[in-house]
Amino acid sequence: MAGLANSFGRGAMTNHFNDYKNTDVFLVIGSNAAETHPMAMKWIQRAKELRGAKLIVADPRLTKTAAHADIFARHRPGTDIPFLLGIMNYAIQNNLYHKEYIANYTNASYLVNPNYGFQDGLFSGAGEKNGKFSYDKNTWQYQKDGETIKKDFTLEHPNCVFQLLKKHVSRYDIETVSKITGVPKDIYRNVCETFASTGAPEKSGNIIYAMGITQHTYGTQNVRAIAMLQLLLGNIGKAGGGVNAQRGESNVQGSTDLAMLSHLLPGYLGVPNATKHTCLQDYIEKETPPSGYWKNKPKFLISLLKAFYGEKATKENDFCFDWLPKVDGKNRSHMGIFQEMLDGNVKGLIAWGQNPAVGGPGAQFERKAMEQLDWLVVVDLFETETAAFWHGPGADPKNIKTECFLLPAAFSFEKEGSVTNSGRWIQYRYKAVDPPGEAKTDTWIADKLFKAIRKEYQNGGKFPEPILNMHWDYDKPGHDEPDIAKIALEINGYAVGENKPLDSFGKLADDGSTVCGMWIYTGYWAMDKDFKVAKCKRRSREDSGLGTFLKWSFSWPLNRRILYNRCATDPQGNPWDPKRALFKWNGTKWIANDVPDYNSKIAPEKSAQAPFIMLPNGNGRLFANGLADGPFPEHYEPMESPVSNIISKQQNTPCASVFKGDWAKIAELGDSRFPYVATTHRQLEHYQSGAVTRNTPSLVEVCPWMYVSLSENLAREKGIKPGDEVWVETIRGKIKCLASVSPVVKPLTVNGKKIEVIGLPWHWGYQGMSTGATANDITPAVGDGNTSIPEYKAFLCNIRKA
Amino acid sequence: MSKAVLVDLTKCIGCKSCQTSCKQWNDLPAIKPQFDNTLSYPAETDGYTYTTVLHRTTEKNGQETLRFAKRQCLHCLEPACASACFAKAIQKTPEGPVVYNPDLCVGCRYCMLACPFSIPKYDWESVFPQIVKCQFCFDREGTHDRIGHGMEPACVNACPTGCLKFGERDELLKEAWKRINKYSKYIKHVYGEKEAGGTSWLYIADVPFETFDFRTNVPNIPLSTYSHDYLKWSPAVFIGGGALLSALHFYTKRRNEIAKEKDKNHDINA
Ligand code: SF4
Ligand code: SF4
Ligand code: SF4
Repeated sequence: MAGLANSFGRGAMTNHFNDYKNTDVFLVIGSNAAETHPMAMKWIQRAKELRGAKLIVADPRLTKTAAHADIFARHRPGTDIPFLLGIMNYAIQNNLYHKEYIANYTNASYLVNPNYGFQDGLFSGAGEKNGKFSYDKNTWQYQKDGETIKKDFTLEHPNCVFQLLKKHVSRYDIETVSKITGVPKDIYRNVCETFASTGAPEKSGNIIYAMGITQHTYGTQNVRAIAMLQLLLGNIGKAGGGVNAQRGESNVQGSTDLAMLSHLLPGYLGVPNATKHTCLQDYIEKETPPSGYWKNKPKFLISLLKAFYGEKATKENDFCFDWLPKVDGKNRSHMGIFQEMLDGNVKGLIAWGQNPAVGGPGAQFERKAMEQLDWLVVVDLFETETAAFWHGPGADPKNIKTECFLLPAAFSFEKEGSVTNSGRWIQYRYKAVDPPGEAKTDTWIADKLFKAIRKEYQNGGKFPEPILNMHWDYDKPGHDEPDIAKIALEINGYAVGENKPLDSFGKLADDGSTVCGMWIYTGYWAMDKDFKVAKCKRRSREDSGLGTFLKWSFSWPLNRRILYNRCATDPQGNPWDPKRALFKWNGTKWIANDVPDYNSKIAPEKSAQAPFIMLPNGNGRLFANGLADGPFPEHYEPMESPVSNIISKQQNTPCASVFKGDWAKIAELGDSRFPYVATTHRQLEHYQSGAVTRNTPSLVEVCPWMYVSLSENLAREKGIKPGDEVWVETIRGKIKCLASVSPVVKPLTVNGKKIEVIGLPWHWGYQGMSTGATANDITPAVGDGNTSIPEYKAFLCNIRKA
Repeated sequence: MSKAVLVDLTKCIGCKSCQTSCKQWNDLPAIKPQFDNTLSYPAETDGYTYTTVLHRTTEKNGQETLRFAKRQCLHCLEPACASACFAKAIQKTPEGPVVYNPDLCVGCRYCMLACPFSIPKYDWESVFPQIVKCQFCFDREGTHDRIGHGMEPACVNACPTGCLKFGERDELLKEAWKRINKYSKYIKHVYGEKEAGGTSWLYIADVPFETFDFRTNVPNIPLSTYSHDYLKWSPAVFIGGGALLSALHFYTKRRNEIAKEKDKNHDINA
């Protein structure tokens, strides 16, 4: 998400599933859509049939998606950046990029500080801060004339972003990329030619990615590379284009929107920092950019505070800003929490619909960490490995003092509410069946839990005000369940004193007169005049032919289906491809097939100046100075790699988020005990940690055994036959599973050296109907420098017959 | 007019939705199949499974690739299984489906021998064993009926990619050839158009059907003509308690044992 937000302004998929039918060339990298998003595959196939679209799949494994590829490039885990930068280089060298687009819509023309530089794998400004590597970003800033950024629209100036990009990617020629990634040169050239062809104005290229891109120590930069390639080829904002991040769960977009991440409040407002933001004014001054749509941030934050604290939040008391939880600069991400838990600093844990005992990096150590807890509450459908951590392999219940509670939860079909899909469609669904036994909905559990906690605080406690004064009014008279409509109205937003949902976040105010739980959803609960239902409940199949389906559910923000869609036309308002026209300026107004993601009341030439409305300067970022690890992506080897980095002296990213202890042990380069590259993956039969699917008989049946995929070559070398039990070992431990020997994986030739790759599904654990070894028991606890997402996708191992 | 399904293997993504929805619609128990190197589970249809999706690696344009094929009863136009069944427990319906009626079944398992596609399976574990095969979701007035209610089969309904298409056989056959003639990727063969005199499930693909061990050497004339001749005297033998049945009994007992051996630890709750 950080990679997208820093490139375009929002951390979300730009287009949506139905739109895939408008694509000319797909590049699916780090995603196995056929297995993890089968419905996406339907639209990919539609594009192939309707438009003769080409599908490129880049993956270390021959996946079910790769089975449908026109070009399948098998690349080594952790080499996405060279793969993507090489395509950019090819497009620039062969003049295939979309020049008019980048000159107008991106920061290609911006002049960067002349002292900006790049040498030996490091950007200018490399240094140390608090004993940790860090960049001083002074030289990454733009040159300015007063307040105005200096630009060169000819893109010739040696310090302009385009020239810097050209130089940076020039090192990634076909030969070099092939050496690093292991993709044969002819296949890679074919990839470059085919995908770069979408730089033609009338063509649309679509990049689809998922966890294969993000779960690396440079995952954010992987995403950046994708975003930049799409900007360079002019593929953002168009029908059939986009950067399409496929989220890992049906409602993970919704939970991210609602601040599942530790550094965010709902609607992507940054969590205040205890030392940096001493009062509301402080926060507003430091966090509100002078231009771009985020200049409205105070309205969103104050409306949120009104939603939290109701009447108590007044202008005089800073709308209770002091009551908001603050961060302290320490790592509060998943691994940060478990590191603290390992160190004995965490007393209690609520694992709500999460199964870290299977899903966390170095899961065996996370289970060990849980032994340090005084209490553990698990809210789930079944007794997961997390709920039963005390009788996992190696655990001795006699020595574990943790008090455990398991609250049975209702499944998604057993409750009512909205689900936000990857494409940002907020779709309302109704309960199909009642939950069994004592299982309760999440809202019921949250409501009862909060009320019980508040009751405790009524007898005193540390800092009771935020709890005692929290606005909490979701009761439905005569019902045990909280009123979903009240919650939905609060998320949507309304004016104080009126109970009517607002139809636009443009109506939110910073004076306390509006309440809004999450500004980006405003309008989803507003009544549709024709259908007489809340907009997220609409189900009209009426369409323009482009698949925008504007009257089917509601898509945030403001029902816009394709983000940054000002870029769908040239600056004068003529669609790049008249046959897929999202918009057209007819001389006096816009003819629209989507909701404009720009000011449609001003002249097209004017709105063309800032099509990325969420960014302060309004232009998509080929060069982004907001990230910790560099304004451009650069190839580094995964923390565990069998080869030295051939593109620079810098072996690993200097900014990785590192932890201490056994779970963070890393095999060194050239460790002969662990010669093979391992990657983890999902498969269609099971879902995440398998908490539900391994308890569903008909799904257990279609994949009952934990296995490892290895190549025929490696199997021969090791005397392993299909179905044999094998040990897979890393420096952190070993697991036993069955061998699946097939061309799903194959050795790659990396810089002349043969590298074997193995694949491990991570769905198994010791609970449920189908049990098996947990792949994450042996994955490393090391993460991305910006987001701390763990590096699950590339590590070193050995394999031998058990 | 008879109902049929066109299976376009170029569209199949191996998602197994057809397989699991068949289980659910037909209230079939889930078992725990043995490990299969290709990850097709179960590796073939069995006494609890009407349909399974076969996974195969193969080569195309000099690169390895994967292909998938849903396998189930093909619902022959003139089914050998039905001709072999003197108890009339298997019958071809005018609507297309070849359906099995357990109430009439005497358990002789001739149908298993007669089927050129090795489809009917036996529910070895049950106290009152039954023949198990896809019923084409046809169960007139019964709880598992869909076709009789004007619906498409459960598997077709669940398929997300359009790999499975339900309709009239002659129209689907036309469509199959239209696709084959339009796109060069297809093999010029509609599997089921002529095999065994024609079947109600038709397959088109971009890899040879041998990839999935589909029998391609089945005669194009209805096998029912053979089986009738071959088996017409069997009732007499049956009445006389003759040698053939003893042989059959021995044969099935042996298979029974082998299958049981294989099925060990198959209980999903084990
Ligand atoms: S495929 Fe076999 S079981 Fe099915 S109808 Fe034909 S002969 Fe009978
Ligand atoms: S037609 Fe019905 S019985 Fe046959 S495989 Fe499909 S769902 Fe199963
Ligand atoms: S549901 Fe359709 S796509 Fe999925 S495996 Fe079955 S036939 Fe193939």
